[in-house]
Amino acid sequence: MEHLPLGSGPARLTVVLLGNPNTGKSTLFSALAGIPTRVGNYPGVTVEEKIGRLRHAGREIDLVDLPGTYSLVPQGPDEEVAVNVLYGRQPGVPSPDVVVAVVDATNLERNLYLATQATEVGLPLVVAISLADVSDRKGLTIDTAELSRRLGCGVVRVAPPRGEGLTALKDAILEAPAHGKPPALALEYSEADAGRSAAAREAIARYRAIDRLVSGVVSRRPAAPLPEDRIDRMLTHTLWGSLFFAAVMLALFSSIFWLAAPLMDLVSGGVDAVAAWVGDSLPAGAIRGLLVDGVLAGISGVVVFVPQIALLFLFVAILEGCGYLARAAYLMDRLLVGVGLSGKSFVPLLSSFACAIPGIMAARTIENRRDRLLTILVAPLMSCSARLPVYFLLCGAFVPDVAVGVSFLRLPAVVLASMYALGIVVAAAVAWILSSTVFRGPPQPFVMELPSWRWPQAAVVFERAREAAWSFLYNAGTVILAVSVVVWALSNYPQNEDRIAADMQVERATIEARLADPSTLETDRLVLAEELAAFDVPDGPARRGAIQRQSVLGRAGLFFEPVVRPLGWDWRLGCAAIASFPAREVVLGTLSVLYNLSPDDDDAEGTMLARRLTAARWDGTDRKVFTLPVALSVMVFFALCAQCASTLVVIGRETGSWMWPVVTFTYMTVLAWLAAWVTYQFGTWMGW
Amino acid sequence: MRPILNPSAAVCEPCTPADSPRTLDGVRVGETICVVDVDGDDALAIRLLEMGLTPGVTIRVVGQAPFGDPVELELRSYRLSIRRAEAARVTVR
Repeated sequence: MEHLPLGSGPARLTVVLLGNPNTGKSTLFSALAGIPTRVGNYPGVTVEEKIGRLRHAGREIDLVDLPGTYSLVPQGPDEEVAVNVLYGRQPGVPSPDVVVAVVDATNLERNLYLATQATEVGLPLVVAISLADVSDRKGLTIDTAELSRRLGCGVVRVAPPRGEGLTALKDAILEAPAHGKPPALALEYSEADAGRSAAAREAIARYRAIDRLVSGVVSRRPAAPLPEDRIDRMLTHTLWGSLFFAAVMLALFSSIFWLAAPLMDLVSGGVDAVAAWVGDSLPAGAIRGLLVDGVLAGISGVVVFVPQIALLFLFVAILEGCGYLARAAYLMDRLLVGVGLSGKSFVPLLSSFACAIPGIMAARTIENRRDRLLTILVAPLMSCSARLPVYFLLCGAFVPDVAVGVSFLRLPAVVLASMYALGIVVAAAVAWILSSTVFRGPPQPFVMELPSWRWPQAAVVFERAREAAWSFLYNAGTVILAVSVVVWALSNYPQNEDRIAADMQVERATIEARLADPSTLETDRLVLAEELAAFDVPDGPARRGAIQRQSVLGRAGLFFEPVVRPLGWDWRLGCAAIASFPAREVVLGTLSVLYNLSPDDDDAEGTMLARRLTAARWDGTDRKVFTLPVALSVMVFFALCAQCASTLVVIGRETGSWMWPVVTFTYMTVLAWLAAWVTYQFGTWMGW
Repeated sequence: MRPILNPSAAVCEPCTPADSPRTLDGVRVGETICVVDVDGDDALAIRLLEMGLTPGVTIRVVGQAPFGDPVELELRSYRLSIRRAEAARVTVR
């Protein structure tokens, strides 16, 4: 092979990889450039930018992986970016020197549609025939020499999994500038289509030209039926296909729900160990509090999501790589289209039942902007695992354990299930309302390729998971950490010793008065005695409770009491709800502190907290704070509210705009308040 | 005259006036038909044409999703899924 002399042309070549989705483009990118040197979003849009670097025959090559596109007549931001990069109009990306059009050998005609459009860009072109290994097994032979002659550009067969054709492709890339731009494919426009738009006429004429282009180039010899054809028949079968789908989704869900749990424990255990070490080596005081309860707790709250994100993206990349993700969307589309979503929303929404953060990130697989945004906006309504401790505690302590209809169906279980149902029903309603008002528009096409079955490539799968975890840590992690530290400071400062002492005195007097009151229940007496004992521990839970009650947050709770009063809540509950902004489960920790309990003292089931809450009375009265309507209104509020700073930060990052987290927080909080109000008022009216 | 389908070629015989046109959404699973035209000039029509549903191409309806929608098509040796509402835009014979 003839090589260009070194040093000719520009010092560094910019080469773009152009191709349809599912053509093995990512696999080819990994095989050529390895781990990308630059990953992120193009400025102003949420379209993934991926640039890698390689060296061949002494030349440096910058390889730009364009978003998968079907046509250079762009529809949607992905294709617009691809076209802009191609024509050198994308800020921050150098004008390309060579275009590599990746063409799936098993799907030649439709892939050549884009490749032949690329001949009109006016840049040197190389056509890479990918998935050559699959086409061989299918009995397809492509005469690459003849195709190269007809197209007027280099055509190279590649099969990255077995390393075939990579060197030849790199050689062809370096030679391409010397060959200049290829001739544009001659299109014959038919008179019959004269009245149609230019794009429609082009499509019809181009396919006619492609049919001529490939005739005689591709030969098909009869091949034995491939195993993937049998698998395909079974997996799209109405019964077996649906059962298999349910099994795959169950596996996906359990992996992020249960498989991630030990890893998450490991993460929080590790941070706890560091916190204990820092706690032992620093004197008690503001610095130790900031480091241990502010910064380290915040870091733990960020890193703890990484196992779920990495596992979900591993799973999604495997499903995407073998072609099942598109089939899952195909199977589920009918269910979701009715509420204004699409089949592709299914996996992100299902994942959100474990945690909305990986779910929202998984919405990246939805190409359609409108469907993606709608999915992101309703994903936090799915009851995530962080709501479970709240549901468990309140259902266990305040929902009477009675049978509903049949003996084995207990009321607490029914209430728990209702919270999940509530999230789903509200999400469906919100999606439907948004899609028929704010997001109303022409119907979004669901024209979706069902890619052929193939083995996922390990390099691509791991890169997907690594990139997702890293982008979360790097982009969202810092903001989440900042929010945690701010909320910690607000719930611990100012520390006015006079006010703290006065607060402790009032609390103590209240408890002593109730103990002295003969009408106090015997069970409450035990709890009150325990609580009183906490006042004798120096620097103990009682002091911490007083600090929190006298902090900015505690006073905010008092200030906002009129807002939460219609929900049946006292100011402590309002305070805990505000404090739970970094994460929903924080509400239990805050309640523990407010009720003079050390969160570390409590057992896993939260029974001590449950007993304290049961014994709690409205200030100065003997009226119980926690009745069934109040417990239900708290649960309903937490089912629908957006008290999760991490989710809001991730929504901001994924949509590229801080407007959407504000919209999400506002609509969810209003909805949660209204639903909690209805629940409390109805429950009280029913006399529960 | 019935269209003569050549399984090895993507393209079928030209239309004759005797062929009664119908739309793709009404085609039963397992049938092989021939595209006459895609109705309209909007983004959806252009995307359908770009995906290869051009006049004269043969399509086999491979299956349908469990709830009857969308449908799975085979054309130009690949698989495509479209909703029935979208299939209604495609005239076939």
